[in-house]
Amino acid sequence: MTRPEWFVALGLLVFALGSVRLLFVRDTVTRLVALNIAGAGVFLVLIALAARTDPPDPVLHALVLTGIVIAVSVTGLGLVLIRRSDDGADESRDGDAP
Amino acid sequence: MTAAVVLDALLAAGVLVTAVVALWHRERAASVTVFLGFGVLLTAIWARLGAPDVALAEAALAAGVTGALMTTVVAGRTRSTAPASRSSRAVDVAEGAVAVGVGVALTAVTVGAMRSAAPVLTGDVATEALPDSVVAHPVTAVLLDFRTYDTMLEIVVLAVAALAAVSTLRDAAPALSVPVDRRPVLTGAVAALTPVLVVLAAWLLVAGSDRPGGAFQSGAVVTGIVLLTVLTGTLRLPSARTTRLLLAVGSTVFLVVALATALTTGWLTLENPWGGTAVVALEAVLAVSIGVCLAVLALAGSTRA
Amino acid sequence: MTSLLPAFVVVPALVATLVAMIPRIGAVAAGATALAGVVAAVALTLRVSADGPVDVALGGWAEPVGIALRADGLSAAFVLFTAVVVLVVTVFASGSSAARGTPFFWALSLALWSGLNAVYVAADLFNTYVALELVTVAAVGCVALGGRSAAAPALRYLLVAVAGSLWFLLAVGLLYARTGTLSLRLALDVLRDPTDDGALVATVLILATVGLALKSALVPLHAWLPPAHAGAPAAVSPLMSAVVIKASIFVLYRLWTSLPADAATTSLAVLVGAVGSVAVLWGSLAALRQARLKRVVAYSTVAQVGYFVLLLPLVVPALRPEADDAARAVAELAVQGTVAMVAAHALAKSAMFMAAGCLLHARGTDEIAALRGAVVTNPGAVLAFGVAGVALAGLPPALAFSGKWQLLTAVLESGQWWWLIALLGGGLLTAAYTVRVLAVFVAERETGTENTPVPVRMTAATLVTAVAAGIAGVASAGWLATTTVGVF
Repeated sequence: MTRPEWFVALGLLVFALGSVRLLFVRDTVTRLVALNIAGAGVFLVLIALAARTDPPDPVLHALVLTGIVIAVSVTGLGLVLIRRSDDGADESRDGDAP
Repeated sequence: MTAAVVLDALLAAGVLVTAVVALWHRERAASVTVFLGFGVLLTAIWARLGAPDVALAEAALAAGVTGALMTTVVAGRTRSTAPASRSSRAVDVAEGAVAVGVGVALTAVTVGAMRSAAPVLTGDVATEALPDSVVAHPVTAVLLDFRTYDTMLEIVVLAVAALAAVSTLRDAAPALSVPVDRRPVLTGAVAALTPVLVVLAAWLLVAGSDRPGGAFQSGAVVTGIVLLTVLTGTLRLPSARTTRLLLAVGSTVFLVVALATALTTGWLTLENPWGGTAVVALEAVLAVSIGVCLAVLALAGSTRA
Repeated sequence: MTSLLPAFVVVPALVATLVAMIPRIGAVAAGATALAGVVAAVALTLRVSADGPVDVALGGWAEPVGIALRADGLSAAFVLFTAVVVLVVTVFASGSSAARGTPFFWALSLALWSGLNAVYVAADLFNTYVALELVTVAAVGCVALGGRSAAAPALRYLLVAVAGSLWFLLAVGLLYARTGTLSLRLALDVLRDPTDDGALVATVLILATVGLALKSALVPLHAWLPPAHAGAPAAVSPLMSAVVIKASIFVLYRLWTSLPADAATTSLAVLVGAVGSVAVLWGSLAALRQARLKRVVAYSTVAQVGYFVLLLPLVVPALRPEADDAARAVAELAVQGTVAMVAAHALAKSAMFMAAGCLLHARGTDEIAALRGAVVTNPGAVLAFGVAGVALAGLPPALAFSGKWQLLTAVLESGQWWWLIALLGGGLLTAAYTVRVLAVFVAERETGTENTPVPVRMTAATLVTAVAAGIAGVASAGWLATTTVGVF
């Protein structure tokens, strides 16, 4: 396998690990971490795809930059909501599904 | 095995190990800390894959700002040391096995797609179009000339997230309030650092036109400046109304520019000779907006509702 | 009209940021923009039906370097019913501050609407992803307006919705790996060459469908929806069920009516259709067991999403290489019927949630048992709820009736008669949970129940929407024909 292909494999594995954990773990902060890790996996795939050419594909780099800003925004909002729900009454859970 | 291959392999292994530990650790605080380590390793991988812009953004935003955001929620709270989950070792292994299976299946399909890939990528076309763009650096050209619409939407996403965060505060007078630490060591250090950081932010911003850098990375530094000055009392927390103004103004400017270009050259169309200046101006607006919105998100997380 | 397409996104977003800075103008600005939005949406529909799809290249760069926007019949239809729902909910929301939650409602709902339009007119796949994230973040913000008790449901919604977007983004990445472009149109050109892309297309569709199913709350990935839709403020719930869900449904339709099909994807489509049928049953049965009115309506949405995915197995035969005109005709019929169902649901569901909001305002609770005798104290809201429920079940001349009729025809003509069970059974169940609630409304009121008067405009907005859902089937044939312009 070529170098980009190895990194694509790494990215897909990281994505899968994060996604599986996101579905099954209960703690909200860990879920947020899992979401970020899954996102990082997708970014890895994109950057690895960009590394196929020389110079690297700038479009994919731009997409990942946009994705990182969105991920940080979402994480920030998620943390505020975690703080609100922790401060208040116990969270209500409706079973195991997402 | 060359040194480069060994380095790549070590980084990849490090990423996997930190990911697994962060995902399956029982304690929140440990999870978050290891996750930050994951971010640092990822920064190195971006550099290894020829993506310096992304590496800068990862270090500043994904590792730096996210770290700040997460520690405010996790640090110093009794819940953070409580066990995060109670699943057994067998279930953990099963989950991991499922993930590995899915990863392998996806890899098979993706590698197949890569090997039969179309000969012309958008990246090649973009690089060819670069001389006709208003900036020299490819990534900046994509973000602010070719795909400005995406960047516009993204800055609106950030502003909306900050607005949503502020809206969860007590609705009588939603203002931020955080504990301020005025110890002389801190205020002295911040006083010395702030000018340096401001220059760094400005340099990152302007450098983006012809080398790695730009609004996002500069914006992350601005976030740092805002948080440092607010948390040490050097800068007073703004009122509720000023907060709202600050976090919305960046998007407003961008959207107004969109309308203005619609009436003149065409929606979001930048042309020489004013295009280069327009890009730097837009990036400045973006950097300040990113800095303020992320700082507001961090401060809203620390404010008791 | 060509160059006005981006205005559907830019104008609501700009008004949203202005309202964020100057909250006082919120109601007026939102109302004016909503009204303009409906007019513009009607103009778009007329333009598309007359001259075909509208294409715009942004930034002066053509694809694949730049981003393009595209509005075909499907886009115009979604833009139209979204604008109508936004208008009626704006009127409803202006009646009560409790219905809004906090003054931030106006800015967040306008931003939400901007994001929805961005999804409907997108032709670039990464652009679609960013637009979906805007919708999610704005929607989560709206749900969180419900106060501290809404924080946990809002958080859960955020995690699930962003996870769904990530799965979709990965699918886009895989497609780029093969086609080298983010433009859907150009990607299809590459895939049309007869190399073996079956595994790739199937994987892309699986990833994207699962991600979008998470965002649309398709059973069994639906548990996040009832707490979020029910826990949101009274003016937010109608937006959530009626239009926010439709964004991911739209992207699902866009992918499944474009990508080439083979045996694997046909099986996948049938599987999704089967899951949808289960969803219709599951959601309706759950709705029958709820003690709170808003939960009944929320589970009703879970059931209706099952209908929306029935389109997939009906449309996939038209995308196979051996497809003939008959298959394409069936697919067009199926799309028209489904769009009718989607639009009917948007009107009826928003009316039901607004009726629940009126009753909540009047009685201070949405516990069904506490709403006995509501027909005497709030006849408008009760009537609206009944009409909307019946309209949703699909009695003529409701829009849902036209939709079901077309879908029935498509099902029979395509020979996949087993979908009839879900189509017909679902209507009965919808009637069941509507009647169950109405029975309590018309029961005798307990003495001493408090009753706050409901502002006229809230009841009026609710009634108008319910009646529209109930009679829109009458003139719908012409409109429904426009919804497939440029789709296939």
